[in-house]
Amino acid sequence: MDGRAFFRAFRGGGGTKGMTDLVSLTDVTKVYQGGITGALNGISVTVEKGEFTAIMGPSGSGKSTMLNLVAGLDKPSSGTVVVGGTDLGKLGEAGLARFRRDHIGFVFQFFHLLPNLTALENILIPAQLKGNTATVRARELLEELGIKDVADSYPARMSGGQQQRVAIARALINNPTLLLADEPTGALDTRTGDQVMELLGQLHRNGQTILLVTHDAKLATRHAARVISVMDGKIVDDARLESPERAPSDVIRVRGEEASR
Amino acid sequence: MTAVLLKAIRDLRRRRLPAIVIFGTTLLAVLTATMTLSLMSQARDPYQAAFDAQKGAHLQVTFDSRIDPATLAGTPGLIGAAAFGGPYPATDMQFRAGGHKYLVTTIGRDNPNGEVEQLRVTAGRWPVANNEIALTRSFADLNHVSVGDRLTVLSVPEQPVLNVTALVADIDEARADVGGQQHSWVLTTAIGPLTLKGSSSYRMNYRFASDPTAAQLQARTEKLHASLPAGSVTDSVNYLFISSIFHVSTQVLTSVLMAFSVFALAATAAIVANLVTGIVISGYREIGIMKAVGFTPVQVVGVFELQVLVPAAAACIVGIPAGTVLGQPLVASSSQALGLAYQATFSPAIDALALGGALLIVALAALIPAVRAGLLKPAIVIANASAPRGQSGRWLRRLASRARLPRPVVLGLGDATARPVRAILTLAAVFLGIATMYVALGETGSFYGIYKYEGHLGNVDVVVTKSPAMADTDATQLISSQPETERFVAQTITGISVPGIADPAYSVVLRGNSSALGYQVTSGRWINGPGEVVAPAGLLHDAHLKLGDTFTATYHGSALKVRVVGVLYDLVSGPGGHELIVDWSTIAAAAPDLSPSSYLVTLKPGSSVDSYVKRMAAAQPDLLDVQANSTGDTAFLNSIAGVLFAIAAVIALIAVAGIFNTLMLNTRERVRDTATLKALGMSPRELIGMVASSAGFLALVGALIAVPAGIWLSRELFDLIISSVGGTAPPPSAHGAFEPWQVVVIPVAGVIVAIAAAVIPGRWAARTNVVEVLHAE
Repeated sequence: MDGRAFFRAFRGGGGTKGMTDLVSLTDVTKVYQGGITGALNGISVTVEKGEFTAIMGPSGSGKSTMLNLVAGLDKPSSGTVVVGGTDLGKLGEAGLARFRRDHIGFVFQFFHLLPNLTALENILIPAQLKGNTATVRARELLEELGIKDVADSYPARMSGGQQQRVAIARALINNPTLLLADEPTGALDTRTGDQVMELLGQLHRNGQTILLVTHDAKLATRHAARVISVMDGKIVDDARLESPERAPSDVIRVRGEEASR
Repeated sequence: MTAVLLKAIRDLRRRRLPAIVIFGTTLLAVLTATMTLSLMSQARDPYQAAFDAQKGAHLQVTFDSRIDPATLAGTPGLIGAAAFGGPYPATDMQFRAGGHKYLVTTIGRDNPNGEVEQLRVTAGRWPVANNEIALTRSFADLNHVSVGDRLTVLSVPEQPVLNVTALVADIDEARADVGGQQHSWVLTTAIGPLTLKGSSSYRMNYRFASDPTAAQLQARTEKLHASLPAGSVTDSVNYLFISSIFHVSTQVLTSVLMAFSVFALAATAAIVANLVTGIVISGYREIGIMKAVGFTPVQVVGVFELQVLVPAAAACIVGIPAGTVLGQPLVASSSQALGLAYQATFSPAIDALALGGALLIVALAALIPAVRAGLLKPAIVIANASAPRGQSGRWLRRLASRARLPRPVVLGLGDATARPVRAILTLAAVFLGIATMYVALGETGSFYGIYKYEGHLGNVDVVVTKSPAMADTDATQLISSQPETERFVAQTITGISVPGIADPAYSVVLRGNSSALGYQVTSGRWINGPGEVVAPAGLLHDAHLKLGDTFTATYHGSALKVRVVGVLYDLVSGPGGHELIVDWSTIAAAAPDLSPSSYLVTLKPGSSVDSYVKRMAAAQPDLLDVQANSTGDTAFLNSIAGVLFAIAAVIALIAVAGIFNTLMLNTRERVRDTATLKALGMSPRELIGMVASSAGFLALVGALIAVPAGIWLSRELFDLIISSVGGTAPPPSAHGAFEPWQVVVIPVAGVIVAIAAAVIPGRWAARTNVVEVLHAE
């Protein structure tokens, strides 16, 4: 399926030129209650608008923690998290909810569709929370993601791939500034996982800024333009990868660490 | 067994909130049930005990004063009495004490002892002089009269003053507020000066070797009628009738308590079933693991049963003694009224019954979900890791969505009915909580209605009681001369003999527009003129009469040919329900000396009752007792109302606990969905709103069913209670009406309380840690 022409209409941002920092983590540390070592230890990183960035690392490395901080689902023990110019540390619970509703699209590993709602109803939830009726757009998303036939089906009757597509549509309904995906293929078979990643790739090519967490190096390097490697709460590598549309680029220097090609 | 116990106790420690809910609801239910059982099964019938101790009279007969006392002395042998008291001279005496006037039957008796009807002096000493009087303790307590007080007799022109020297416990008048005869005693030589011409009589008390039945008593009374000159026997009352009056209050209270105990236990059962269902659902994977490691189905059932039985047993340990203690004042009031020493009623059998019953109900309520848990297939359960999600409620959610309700409300409504069984059990608890309120309101309204009916409230504004010393014409002239008087009905009470009934029937003789008094005729019509009577179904049944029949009644030896034109609604049937209502014109010829004892006055609209009463009382302060019409002393009724509403409040609390429990279960079960919604941007306030919508919906549906059902239940219970005390089924109009605000405010309040109960689960949902929940897969 090639929906590039369609996805250009849903671009969340511009192309590779004229990028600006969309996400900025500065000296961020996260220590959970009772933890001796931190989930994140003084990391600093920025993500620019229009980037497709993969955060990679083994289990317990802190990659999901980074994603949660960017989404405003969690707060750092110290440091600042700024997304789209908004310092998330200054927002309360209600403010963070509004922030997520207005700027973030989240795709979970286990889809997390509401079981008592149909596919269409699940997709509409974020729009309805924002006070919009977006049925037309929702149906268009269903059409373009190839899941029109399950619009009135309940999650229990869908395959994993279909559920994840519904979850992606739900994440896109409000035209989010930033699309976050936490192991989006973790619960899918290889073929379906590839399809989902291809979808995300197409979204990125149309300008959507994507931050993806994965433990799969092959998946990360095949689709993302940038891979940040995390281990023990620290960034150990940050590499831009060659792509047909880009010239080889220099190493991004990160504060406190140097990565080389 | 050790493994089962260990697992159950550990689970209990982990699930403290459900344990607390079970403890609380069982405690309240068992407390109510124990109070009821204590009242129902007192170690002995206090009235019978007092009757035996007092050597009470099985039969008390009033004779016309014209009969020779020597003749009366021979009557005990005539009817086979083993012991007797009297003949005592007696008169109806009106006196004033503390600014109020009273009419009592005063009996001449020289000492409180004797073979029959011994009177126990509880304060002071028996009169020894002609200016001394003894009163019953219950009368004195009710009317705040004490030993040492002085009474002014108003029924004789000389108006002598009597000193109260004694208070006695007389089982015939154990509950002055409930009704019955009111007696006082003076020396035999003091009776004469206190007696107005035409108001004297003789009293005889008879006691038999063994307690006679009602039929035996009737036969003996008929023998007296037959053996003595016609009209000699003017009245009689037996111990069975007095006992029934005494017991009516206990019977009513017991009936009500029993009904409410059933409600409380039903509500508790619904909540326990709901709770255990929730525990099973939340512990789905755990059940699979239990079975995988070797728990048999029976052992799994045992684990869940223990989790409810332990807190329930703890509740019984607290609730049963508390209920027994709280029931003691009710038990004590019976003994105290009879002058008996209070004997605490603690029965191990009752306690065991309450304990066993409560645990059985709780165990049964938990059985179905526990058995379902026991029968789960371990492989499926472990593989699924969680219980199937409740899928119902979609139609409701769609309906709400089409109605364009806010999304959190839509989701909340769907959650409320996602699991139909849970929703139904919760609705049952809400239903019971709200319906019980209406039952409490309806019962008290109906009982107050009885008082109002008996007192002609709404039809009579002022009651003027005349001293026998005042002429009827003087009284009527005074009343007629008042500008506010619209109409009045003169009334007196006498006894008219009906064929087939031994005792003269309690007869109300009315003069004036008596149809305006508000008596209810269940069939036929009201009396229109002479020769017509209305009577309650009880008398007609016992006398083998029916509507339209003509019979010859007897009044003081004179024959009265009368026809039954209407059947009167009367509360009590049997000996106490033998009542006749006749027009004065029917009896006038046979009773030329009969004078009204009271006048029931209706004022013109807008008149001041207070001014009227004060003016009339001032006009004849000694010969008239003028009172604004009221229900009289309602202490007994107020105490029943207090108990009813207290228990209704308890059941309402149980209902709130039920809603709270359901919300907690739903919220915890849907924690993943809640976390997802939070991740998608649902604010804390919206999450609380979602939970509150669930609660409000369940409460609203429960309330809508409970209002009509509660009103219906209250009427059915009232009819049942009346039947249990031997009364006739009341007409629909006898049931207390509900005010419009009661029909609206109570369910609305129920919804508000339910929404308030949603705050804690709602805030819990709002504080869901998205990261922990969604990454716990």
